Amino acid sequence: MMLAYRTNYYTGILIYSINIGAYYFLWAAIYSGKQHIEGLSVTQMTTYVAVAWMARAFYFNNIDREMAVEIMEGKVAIELIRPYSYLGMKTMQGLGEGIFRLLFFSVPGLVIASFIFPVKFTWNPTVWGLFGISILLSFFINTLLNLLTGITTFFLFNNSGLIRAKRVVIDLFSGLLLPMSFFPGWAQDVMKYLPFQGISYVPSMIFTNGFSHQQAISAIWQQFVWVLVLIVPIQLLWILAKKQLIIQGG
Amino acid sequence: MNNAIEVKDLRKEFKSYSSRSGLRGAFRDLFTRNYKVVPAVNDISFSVRQGEMVGYIGENGAGKSTTIKMLTGILTPTTGSIVVNGMNPHKEREKFVRTIGVVFGQRSQLWWDIAVQESFRLLKKVYKVSDAHYNEHMDHVIKTLDIEPLLDKPVRKLSLGQRMRCELAAALIHNPPLLFLDEPTIGLDVLVKLKIREFLKEINEKYNTTILLTTHDLTDIEALCERVIMLDEGKIIYNGALRDLKDKWGDGKELQFQFLEKVDLDALKNLTIGMPVKWELDEKEHIYSALLEDIDELISQVIAKVVEAFKIKDIKINETSTEEIIRNIYEKGTV
Amino acid sequence: MFYASMFFQYVSQYVKTRFQYRANLFVEFFSDLLSQAVNFIFILIVFGHTSLLHGWNRDEIIFIYGFFLVPFALFSAFFNIWDFNDRYIIKGELDRILTRPIHSLFQIVLERMELESLLGALTGLVVMFYSGSRLGIELKWFDPILFIVFVVGGALVYGGVFVMLACVSFWADARTDIMPMMYNISNYGRYPVDIYNKVIRFVLTWLLPFAFVGVYPAAYFLGKKEWFSYAFLTPIMGVLFFVVSIFVWNQGVKKYRGAGN
Repeated sequence: MMLAYRTNYYTGILIYSINIGAYYFLWAAIYSGKQHIEGLSVTQMTTYVAVAWMARAFYFNNIDREMAVEIMEGKVAIELIRPYSYLGMKTMQGLGEGIFRLLFFSVPGLVIASFIFPVKFTWNPTVWGLFGISILLSFFINTLLNLLTGITTFFLFNNSGLIRAKRVVIDLFSGLLLPMSFFPGWAQDVMKYLPFQGISYVPSMIFTNGFSHQQAISAIWQQFVWVLVLIVPIQLLWILAKKQLIIQGG
Repeated sequence: MNNAIEVKDLRKEFKSYSSRSGLRGAFRDLFTRNYKVVPAVNDISFSVRQGEMVGYIGENGAGKSTTIKMLTGILTPTTGSIVVNGMNPHKEREKFVRTIGVVFGQRSQLWWDIAVQESFRLLKKVYKVSDAHYNEHMDHVIKTLDIEPLLDKPVRKLSLGQRMRCELAAALIHNPPLLFLDEPTIGLDVLVKLKIREFLKEINEKYNTTILLTTHDLTDIEALCERVIMLDEGKIIYNGALRDLKDKWGDGKELQFQFLEKVDLDALKNLTIGMPVKWELDEKEHIYSALLEDIDELISQVIAKVVEAFKIKDIKINETSTEEIIRNIYEKGTV
Repeated sequence: MFYASMFFQYVSQYVKTRFQYRANLFVEFFSDLLSQAVNFIFILIVFGHTSLLHGWNRDEIIFIYGFFLVPFALFSAFFNIWDFNDRYIIKGELDRILTRPIHSLFQIVLERMELESLLGALTGLVVMFYSGSRLGIELKWFDPILFIVFVVGGALVYGGVFVMLACVSFWADARTDIMPMMYNISNYGRYPVDIYNKVIRFVLTWLLPFAFVGVYPAAYFLGKKEWFSYAFLTPIMGVLFFVVSIFVWNQGVKKYRGAGN
């Protein structure tokens, strides 16, 4: 069904490649002859950027915005009487779209990018395995944050500003634009206590071999803990939201 | 007198894409797509006089909306000619749309977040209506539609019926000589419907406004339109007075009986054996209806037989309703 | 001027509407500031690891960013059309637009404006004055005039490109997600184009000329003589791209009216 959108498909891959290209040159200029910055070589950095954007195609979704629209238009009330969990259904829908984009979009884009730019793949199956687990968890962290933002529509009515703010924060603090190791030390310390770096930094570092095996395992555990932790406020707010929905009648 | 709408051999074709099945098909769709050309409106011609109210009816997908969109200049025809208010709608669009009013029942013309009167004020500027004209004309419209108390509310807080009345007022701000109404009474309750119909009649009389109306509700058409144009699969299958349609098709009558005791349908059938009568039973209401031709002799014979055999609680003689007529026509496909 | 008076009518309506959701307005201001801060932080962190970017120092890069924010604010305020396809084509709002006697693109600009984005221009000016004073830039009497010309030119470049992208919806067979992706690319005009290779530089100069929204005009104020000729091309590129985009738009509307949806 989605393959039918061919304009989308071709331009998507093209833009993905240009994107990685522009970042490659920006980073090449930043390195300007230096071998390593913060333990990453320029090749690792390029790979990091390519993988980070590829992973983004997988974990990214517009669930928050969709929920906001459905809540404002009162369609959620209808969803609530259906025989499935609304939040679970949204998550699965995001996962489906993510897998689709990953296979038909990111993978060919990455292959094209690797021909043009010095992107280095590892052939170590353990790394691939850990990477796979890690991006799955990053999908859940990002999606849970989206659900959380979406649910706030019940209480704020119009929350387009909040949705935008959340997106900006995630792009920076997830490590999509910059690896966390580039941040000043105090900022890195703060980030350790926030879920954002589990979204982009962790899987990208695993893929570029920027993490040792030990580091990778413990980072994945942290991701997993964040998934569990984030479920709690979502369930609480959801119960509250349902109560409000019943009182106000949607 | 000139015609408000003059349509000749109008045709509109759409390309309809079909997806191939399966993953392999999806891949092939990336490179070439299958499509076929479907005529949504198929060489139709008709005209509407200034000041006429015409009903434009047809089943879903018969081509009603496509026609309206062409008449209002939204879509360009594939072939054929349209003259509306002496202009070609898809040329000089901006000049043309000043002479028409449009109400889409399913889509709002008003701004969602601002008060109704602010929307009116904005539209007044859009259509360059002078204060004097606006006051004189709109005061009357607002009063007749009874929307005075709604003016300072934002549109999102209005009920459907309230919104629809405001939509109608908004479409009339520039007092256009021609009004297109696409499903204006969809989802409205009876009282609002009546009010809207009365209002439309009134502006039609007062300003000689031409009105072209599409609707699923035939009572609208019965109340308002002298003439109907009926569409099926992109072709006009009937164009003429509603009266004639009834005379030609509504030649049957329906006798409705209610009895004091329970009566077997077969007993009734046996009673009228040999006569051209068809019996039906509405199980819920316990109403027994006999469908038969409109022959006085026959009708009195049937009534006599039934009254003789059973105790009667109630009797009614109905003409075939317009709805049934239309249904019959669509089932047969021609007039 | 009918169109000018319509513009002010819509602006006054807009202000009234926005004040209905004051809390969200505040969050939107905040999120705008936040996204500006994020880009600023990016530059600061990068220069924590290097002192020169292809011969441009930190304050120069910050100055380019500050300049970029001004035309970008104008653009975001008036060309908020990234959801054109969803809102106007798929939901059919374009039909309503086409039954009104004002040019369709102008109506959409009016309906979708987001004036709060103009705050970004203020941020941009502050950033420019900050880095400009550190660099010791002196202004000549005609510089403010050139600034305005460059800003308008830059905003028109942006507007032209995004109107043309919106026009894709007229021809494409289904929804496209090109717009959000393009926002990423548009950021690259903020960095000196000489860091890129020929292909990307060519793209950013002539095809998707985002360099005219940032580095080229800013280079004039930074006194980088080798870029002056590009800087003065800014208004020409702006007008050119915008005129072409309106032409494409009109063709697109014609196509829409031919095909329907």
